[in-house]
Amino acid sequence: MEDNLENNGFSVPENYFNTLNDAIDARIRAEKIKMLAATEGYTVPEGYFEKLQLQILDKTVKEKKPQAKVLRLWRSSLLKYASAACFFIVSAAGLYFYQDQQNSKNITHNDLATELLLYDIDEQVIIDHIEDHDLKARDPKHSNVELENYILNNYSQNDIASAF
Amino acid sequence: MKQVEDSEILEKFSAAKTRDEGFNLLLAKYQQKIYWHVRRLVIDHDDADDLVQDTFVKVWKNLDKFRSDAQLYTWIYRIATNECITFLNKKKQRNNTPLEEVSAELSETLIASSHFNGDKVQLKLQQAILTLPEKQRLIFNMKYYDDLKYEEISEITGTSVGALKASFHIAVKKIEAFMLNENINF
Repeated sequence: MEDNLENNGFSVPENYFNTLNDAIDARIRAEKIKMLAATEGYTVPEGYFEKLQLQILDKTVKEKKPQAKVLRLWRSSLLKYASAACFFIVSAAGLYFYQDQQNSKNITHNDLATELLLYDIDEQVIIDHIEDHDLKARDPKHSNVELENYILNNYSQNDIASAF
Repeated sequence: MKQVEDSEILEKFSAAKTRDEGFNLLLAKYQQKIYWHVRRLVIDHDDADDLVQDTFVKVWKNLDKFRSDAQLYTWIYRIATNECITFLNKKKQRNNTPLEEVSAELSETLIASSHFNGDKVQLKLQQAILTLPEKQRLIFNMKYYDDLKYEEISEITGTSVGALKASFHIAVKKIEAFMLNENINF
């Protein structure tokens, strides 16, 4: 309690007062040395520190970084033209096949429409038409039934429709 | 002239656009301090010149890795100190020189140096410092000439504050005795 009151609640590191004595002694001796020799005596060449800064900057800030090697993909203009030509050919082929496909769709559509129409036509009407237009059979030996069957088996309704 | 704060130097260095400016500020602030720190350890001006440049090149290359838990200048001092210790060790190995003879070599360099114009007393003081063991000499220089705090010297050398205080006390006793020894003259 009394110690605490004396120190006003403050504490010091362990062994502090033993080392304090040495620390003060060291400071005093150092001051005596400074009194004997105030400066060191070392010198530098004139303008040295300005030159030093420039030399350091040359080795750091101003040092050129090695440029990354550039590998060109397009070594010659011929390759460029060849690539362009390939692109054109592929595009043209694509366009051609696209249009062909569209035409096929149209023909299919037309065939379907025609077939639908022909469903409404009686087969006898078709036969009468052939007879009226004096269509000659290649082989007169065959009967009308045989002819009829032959036509229906070997020709599509579209083929027959286009004959009209 | 108002000195630039370390925080400003680090901030400028961290941005690509102002990196060079930041490094210039760092050089302006620390190059002389580091030069003299190195010069006192290696004595010869040309050796000190090489080592200072090497130090700042390392600072340039590694500053982006610097952690702010340490002080900037103690970090730079540490790099410079390690460069000097490496240099002195190589000198010993190259010449196959025992440790105590390195100090004698440095003394001869000092006497022969064209970049020392001190009087007899100043020369005697430098010779006295050169009689100290390498690490003790380092501690003495940083406390006596650079007036660094023991905590800062501890960061640089990795030695405890208590050991540093004891080492410095012994160093000043030796130097004082050398200086007051009338039998030693130059």
